[in-house]
Amino acid sequence: MFPLLKETIISTAPAAYLIKKSKGALAGFNEFRSYIQDIILSFRSFRKLRFRAVYSIILNQTRFTGIHAIPVVASIAILVGGTVIIQSMSNLPQYGLQDFFGNLMVIIIARELGPLSTALIVITRSGSAITTEIATQKWSSELLSLEAMGIDTKLYIVFPRIMASILSIFSLIIFFDLIAFLGGYIISRTVAYIPLEIFFIKLLKAFSFNDLVSTVLKSLLYGVLIPLVCCYYGFKPASKFEVPIYVSRAVIRTTLVVFGVNAAVSLIFYFI
Amino acid sequence: MIKLNKILKLDKNEIRVALFIAVPVAIVLLLVVLKLGYSLTGPTYDVYLKIDSISSVAKGTPVRVKGYEIGKIVSIEPQYKPALHFLAVMRITKSVDLYEDCSAVIQNQNILGDPVIELRNPEKRGAPLQPYDVIEGVEYVNLEAFMQDLHVLLTSISSTTDVIKQLTVDSRQNIKSMIGNLSGAIANINGILNNSQKDILEIISLFRKTAVTLNDVSDELKKHPMKFLLTGSDKK
Repeated sequence: MFPLLKETIISTAPAAYLIKKSKGALAGFNEFRSYIQDIILSFRSFRKLRFRAVYSIILNQTRFTGIHAIPVVASIAILVGGTVIIQSMSNLPQYGLQDFFGNLMVIIIARELGPLSTALIVITRSGSAITTEIATQKWSSELLSLEAMGIDTKLYIVFPRIMASILSIFSLIIFFDLIAFLGGYIISRTVAYIPLEIFFIKLLKAFSFNDLVSTVLKSLLYGVLIPLVCCYYGFKPASKFEVPIYVSRAVIRTTLVVFGVNAAVSLIFYFI
Repeated sequence: MIKLNKILKLDKNEIRVALFIAVPVAIVLLLVVLKLGYSLTGPTYDVYLKIDSISSVAKGTPVRVKGYEIGKIVSIEPQYKPALHFLAVMRITKSVDLYEDCSAVIQNQNILGDPVIELRNPEKRGAPLQPYDVIEGVEYVNLEAFMQDLHVLLTSISSTTDVIKQLTVDSRQNIKSMIGNLSGAIANINGILNNSQKDILEIISLFRKTAVTLNDVSDELKKHPMKFLLTGSDKK
């Protein structure tokens, strides 16, 4: 009887595991949907919110997410820009493609690497911080106090962070692109010489309105999604011991979401 | 800045955040303006002239199109990579239409040897000349030397053509005599074939007679083999 039972358990275990996981994913999806619904509904009480309070949160969050991230963004931008420029300058002429140098720079740095690298920096710096901050506020009953005072916590906490993230990510992407081009140009001068004006004219010629729209769209989507997902996981911990688990989960899930959105936007602009 | 702070009642963080947002927005707006074709440089624009030596060009050298002055050289920058060459910055007016593949000939405008850069539009006009485009400079002295070389080359080609023509005439004579010889040879072969035909008929008739004799011998041998062997044929 025992071998038969063992066989039955082995044969049904993966299916049961899959069903359990699917149910979990569905429940998680429903929970996230109701969370977004709550945020949308909370806008009904938007006019009751004090402007000064929201403005202060936006200002501080922009300072933390954007201005404080400039040194990290600049360092990574110089390294990425230098690598891409040196590789393209040394390899493109071998295939007679040196005229496409500007296009390649715009495609790789401005369209893809700039937004993606900036989003990853914001996730690791600010996303984790947002989750930890909200989880700590929840654990120390600050959220409960706010709700007791009749303040909609979803609106008061999530909305200013979304606004700050949109502004920060948009500015950081532009800074990243600019520093990557400039830094890359300076590094590339050790390999070959291109006059600065010619370098920028080539880039300007290669830059299209599609690239600009793509960059703005990505900054908008990342700006909404990163704080949204991170805040969601910030509201989740039931005890202080769950805080690291949800912080880690927030970072991983947001990274996955950002990569997915990046691929989707690239795909849309590929067909356009 | 302090006065501005007092007027607007902004604290340090607000100014920082405002700058942090305003600078990228300004960059994007500038990009849009430039992509829409507007220029921020005014009625003139700078174009590079690439030259190998600065012996014939100096700062202030006029730039002309069909003799009409459209600008001048404002600076000359040495470039060390990949090999030493110079980029002269020509500041030219936008009023004259110039195209990407235009040529720049450096020539002397008078007997004293004052240089002037003459821009010439290409026969087939492509994209308009953009600011900071690079035009390859050709010195008129070099151009003259090039023309002389070309003249020598054309003279050589002409003499080579003459030699080939002479060879062709000689060859024609040879071919004519060869054809004459060939027709003589063919006539000889025809004569030989005609003579051979008579001899062949005689040989065939002789063959025929020999065949008749051999037939007789074989008949005799069949009828009287022993007699034939011992005494010979009846006729004999």
